[in-house]
Amino acid sequence: MTGSRGGARVPATGAAGEDLGTEPMKAFRSDGAIGAVCSLAASVSIAAAMALIVILLVEARGVLDLGFLVGAPSRFAGQAGIGPALAGTLWMTLLSAVLACPVGIGAAVYFAEYAPRTRATFAIESAVMNLAGVPPVVFGVAGLALFVRGLGLGSTILAGGLTLAMLTLPTVVVTSREAIRQVPRGVRSAAYALGAARWEVIRRQVLPAAAPGIVTGAALALARTAAAAAPLLVIGAASFVTYAPGTPGDPLTALPTQVFAWSTRSQTDFAALAAGAAVVLLALVLVLHLGGLALRRRLAGAAR
Amino acid sequence: MAGRRTRSPSSAPAERVAGGVFRLCAWLAVAVAALVVAVLASETVLFFTEVPPARFLTELAWTPFAEDPRFGILPLLAATAQIAAGAALVAFPLGLLTAIYLQYYADPRAAGILTAAVTILAAVPTVVYGYVALNFITPALRNIWPGIEAYNGISACLVVGVMILPTVALLSRGALGAVAPSLADAGLALGASPTGVLVRGILPAASGRIAAALALAVSRAVGETMIVTLAAGNQARLTWSPLEGLRTMTAYIAQTSMGDVSPGTIGYRAFFAVAAVLFAITFSMHACGRRLAGGRAGGGPGR
Repeated sequence: MTGSRGGARVPATGAAGEDLGTEPMKAFRSDGAIGAVCSLAASVSIAAAMALIVILLVEARGVLDLGFLVGAPSRFAGQAGIGPALAGTLWMTLLSAVLACPVGIGAAVYFAEYAPRTRATFAIESAVMNLAGVPPVVFGVAGLALFVRGLGLGSTILAGGLTLAMLTLPTVVVTSREAIRQVPRGVRSAAYALGAARWEVIRRQVLPAAAPGIVTGAALALARTAAAAAPLLVIGAASFVTYAPGTPGDPLTALPTQVFAWSTRSQTDFAALAAGAAVVLLALVLVLHLGGLALRRRLAGAAR
Repeated sequence: MAGRRTRSPSSAPAERVAGGVFRLCAWLAVAVAALVVAVLASETVLFFTEVPPARFLTELAWTPFAEDPRFGILPLLAATAQIAAGAALVAFPLGLLTAIYLQYYADPRAAGILTAAVTILAAVPTVVYGYVALNFITPALRNIWPGIEAYNGISACLVVGVMILPTVALLSRGALGAVAPSLADAGLALGASPTGVLVRGILPAASGRIAAALALAVSRAVGETMIVTLAAGNQARLTWSPLEGLRTMTAYIAQTSMGDVSPGTIGYRAFFAVAAVLFAITFSMHACGRRLAGGRAGGGPGR
C-alpha cells in the first residue's frame, strides 16, 4: 500500500469508516442503469478478493501445521517448513521499524514545523516523498551496491534489514507528513499565542493530535516492508537456509522470497508449500494492518 | 536548510535539542534519497561511457551477457508498457465504477464491507498474486486458449490489474468525495437525472484527481516485479501476442543472478542502467500524480 494512499485517507478524527461522510443521495440510489453497472463492478472487485483467499486456503489446507511454521526448508516437500524464513522476515521488519520509523517521523516533523517555506526545501521535500513511488526492486539495486558490496555485508539479514529500512523511510515520511498536515492550523496558532515554544507546541499539541495517523501510516509501511520480495531477491536472498537466523550476520532468508522460490518449482507438492507460506505471509501483513488500525482507535480515544 | 523563523526563540535547551534532532532526521532522509540516486547514477554514467545512448535506445535486443552483447532497452521497455497498459485496462473501469458505487450508490453498511474487502486486496503481498497468476490464472486461461505459453503476458496483465485495482478505487473515491456536494444538489434541483449529474457534472469536476489516481496506479504497475517475474517469464522479446512470454525491466532486474555478475563488468553496469530508467519513469509518474492530486508537499492549509 503506497503511503500517499494510506495517508490520504486518514481522517482527522474518530473511528475508522466515518471518513468522507457523504451519505449517498437517494436520487442516485433510485437510479437503475448506472447503479447496476457500478454494483456489478464492485461485486467483481469483492469476488476477486474472496477468490484469492479461498484459493490460497484450499491449496494450503494439508500444509499448515506447527511443524510447517518452525521447520526448515527441505528437498522433501513433506518435511519442509518456513521457520528460518519467518524468523528472517520478523528480524528484518523489526530492524526496518527501528531504523526507519523514528527518522521518518522526525523528518516529517521537521518538514512540517521547522523547515523554511522556500522553493529549495519544497523541492527537497518533494524528492523525498516521490521516492515513496519508486518500486521496491530499485531499492534492492541500491542496497546491493551500498550494503552488500559497498559495506561488504554480503547477503545477510543486516544487509536485508538496511535495504528494507531504505524502502520504508520515504513511505513513513509521506504518511506522517500527511497526518501532521491534518492537524488544524488553529491548534498551533492558539498554542503559540499562549506563549508556547515550538517544541512545546509539537510535543503537547501537534504530535498527540497526529499520533493516530502517524501510527497507522507506519504500520501500513511496515506491512508493505514485510511483504517485499523483489529487493531481497536482488540482494541475494537464499531459499534454502536450514537454521533460523539468530544474529544480523546470518544468511538472508525471508518469507516472501520463500514463497517465490517454492512457486517456481514445478512439483505440485511445492505449490502447496508456496500456498502455505503465502497464507502465513498474508496473515502477518493483515496483523500489521489491523494492529495499526486498532492502535489508531486507541490513540484517537485517548486524545479526546 | 538552516531555517529560523522570527518567533522569539526560547532559551530552554530542550528547544534547541529538539530542533537539532528533527533537522538531523530530515538530513538523514535526504541523505538516503541522495545515496539511492547517486549509486544508480554513477554506475549508469559508467555504463554509458561504454555503450553509447544511441545503441541503448535503438538496438532491438537485450542480451548483455552474450558474446556479441546487445544493449537495446526497447524490448524491456515495450514489455513494461504492455503489461502496464493491460493492467490499466482491467483496473481503471473496474476501479472507477467501484468508486462511484461506493460513493453514491452503496448504503453505508455495504460500503463499509466493500471498503474493507478492497483494503484487504490492497494489502496482499505481490508475490502472493504472482503465485496465483502462475498456478491458477494461466492454467484457467489455457482452457480458453490451449496454445498459451506457460509464461505469458495476459495472465500478468490480469493479475497486475487486480493488484492496482484498490489504488484506483480508493483514490478515485477520494476524488469523488472532494467534489462539493452542492454540485450534485444543484444539478438534481435543475432536473438533471442522476446519470446526467454524474457524467456531466461530477466526473468532469473530479477528472484531475481521477487522472492522478490512474497515474499513481500505473506507476505501481510499471514497478511491479513479482507478478511479472512469476507469470510473464524471462524472455526479452518484442511481441504483440498476449499469449507469449515477455520480460519487463523489473523482471530482468529481479532475475539477473547477482552471483554471476562481478562489479565493474558491463553486465553489472547494464543492470544499474535499467534500474535508473525504471527509477526515472516511476519517480516522474509519481510526481505527476501528486501534482494532479493537488497534494502539495508543504504549506498546505490545515484542514
